Amino acid sequence: MQFSSSLLENAVNEFARFPGIGKKTALRMVLHLLKQDESITENFSETIARMRRDIKFCQRCNNVSDADICSICANSLRNQSLICVVENLRDVIAIENTQQFSGTYHILGGVISPLDGIGPDQLQIESLVQRIQKEQTEELIFALSPNIQGDTTIYYIQKKIKDFNCRITTIARGIAFGGDLEYADELTLGRSLQNRMPVDKYISH
Amino acid sequence: MFACRHIALTQFRNYRFESFNFNENIIGIYGQNGSGKTNLLDAIYYLCFTKSSFNRPDAQSVKDGFAGFRIDGRFEKNKEEHKLVCILRENNRKEFLADEESYTRFSEHIGKYPCVMIAPDDVSLITEGSEERRKFIDTLLSQLQHDYLEQLIAYNKILQQRNSFLKFAAERNNYDEQLLEILNSQLLEKGNFIYERRQQFLNEFLPQVLAQYISIADKDDKLSLEYESQLNNNTFEELLQQNLQRDLYLQRTGTGIHKDDMVIELKQTTFKNIASQGQRKSLLFAFKLAAFETLKTIKGFAPILLLDDVFEKLDEKRMENLLQYVCVQSGAQVFITDTHKDRLQQSFIKIGKGYNLIGL
Repeated sequence: MQFSSSLLENAVNEFARFPGIGKKTALRMVLHLLKQDESITENFSETIARMRRDIKFCQRCNNVSDADICSICANSLRNQSLICVVENLRDVIAIENTQQFSGTYHILGGVISPLDGIGPDQLQIESLVQRIQKEQTEELIFALSPNIQGDTTIYYIQKKIKDFNCRITTIARGIAFGGDLEYADELTLGRSLQNRMPVDKYISH
Repeated sequence: MFACRHIALTQFRNYRFESFNFNENIIGIYGQNGSGKTNLLDAIYYLCFTKSSFNRPDAQSVKDGFAGFRIDGRFEKNKEEHKLVCILRENNRKEFLADEESYTRFSEHIGKYPCVMIAPDDVSLITEGSEERRKFIDTLLSQLQHDYLEQLIAYNKILQQRNSFLKFAAERNNYDEQLLEILNSQLLEKGNFIYERRQQFLNEFLPQVLAQYISIADKDDKLSLEYESQLNNNTFEELLQQNLQRDLYLQRTGTGIHKDDMVIELKQTTFKNIASQGQRKSLLFAFKLAAFETLKTIKGFAPILLLDDVFEKLDEKRMENLLQYVCVQSGAQVFITDTHKDRLQQSFIKIGKGYNLIGL
């Protein structure tokens, strides 16, 4: 791409660093900013810079936060003895959107996968173990992706905390709600049959 | 009866456009070297497995100087006619349609239209390393049991994770014992499942191979076949424990079902070292025909048999036994290629059933 201004070119290159953004889209964004008032761009870049500069990670659950402790951990209305273990921030947002969970979280930052060079040391596992010990947590809910690496991580953490007096559960795996049985894949359907649920428990929800 | 009745090839390999009809259940295809006999068989294979029987990319099956190919086939199954179409578009995207409906996942098609191909290259099953034999068993078992493939894929994934773990352990000179224990237990679960299934299956399958060999060779040649696994003598758990130091040193997992093999012996000596070309070929046929029989029993109908260049290297007596079996007893539609028209025709006349002869 040929540009008449190196200032423009630099800006386009910066935008093109984002995942999923190519040069053409980057150019569109930059031209959009050019069309608008100068103050809008200033506000925009200041917001971004402040976000990066001032953001903190919650000392308790590793969630992004404005303060040392995030708003979820600081909320006294939430059940503090219930921890939901997730991979990343996006999972927190997804679970929060269900409005079905009122405990706290613990963000691991990934799952154990030696193949990708991720061992237990690179994750927030030690901090989780210490947290459970310190806080006398009653229940730990694993909400990790249902694959082999997710399972490895669950077993690993379970082994670390098996001596604590803490209930360990995992989110259900099975047929998607509102789905059609005939379109469910065989693996999922087979598992759902194996781990079937008593109806009285099912109805009470 | 399951049979292919018609096939039309467009820009496939050496065919510009050509169509063939197969009214009978014995089809002989003759022609000189390079005239396209194998390509015609492979086209049928394509329609059964959505891919070539040779491990090569789809784009290599396009006729030189053209873009894309199309294979149209009409199959008869349980007295109903089915239309299968395989298209490779100009942009190398493959489409597969069964009765005008396209598949989203090609794997759904596999097993519905079974066929068994026997080609000269397949002798690698006997002469090459254990990987070829594991692949043969795995391919067959995956067609018969749904959960087998899934567990095998999981096993291989965990194995990769464990090997990476061992590599890191060597680099850092220490390792997380607990994590290794978890990886071991995950590997154990899948490995034991696969071992049991293989053992169960081969217990029935290997005697069938032997029986097929005897009927082709007319004598038993003192052949023995055995499923060999490190798990035969020790449990997988013990093996992993015993070999821990070695695994750490070599940075890979040295024990498990990924080392399984079928041991083939002739008079207590390794088969491939002393067997003649003809004996190798007989054994290859025995393996393939036993696979054919197994598929036939479980699917309830006979798969199509594709025999490429089988007249080479087998003596007259063995050939006669073989033809008698595939053309008469098997109950399958059979495609046979050869370079000699007369040899093919005489063999068919001897059998005394209706046949098509196609010259290329």
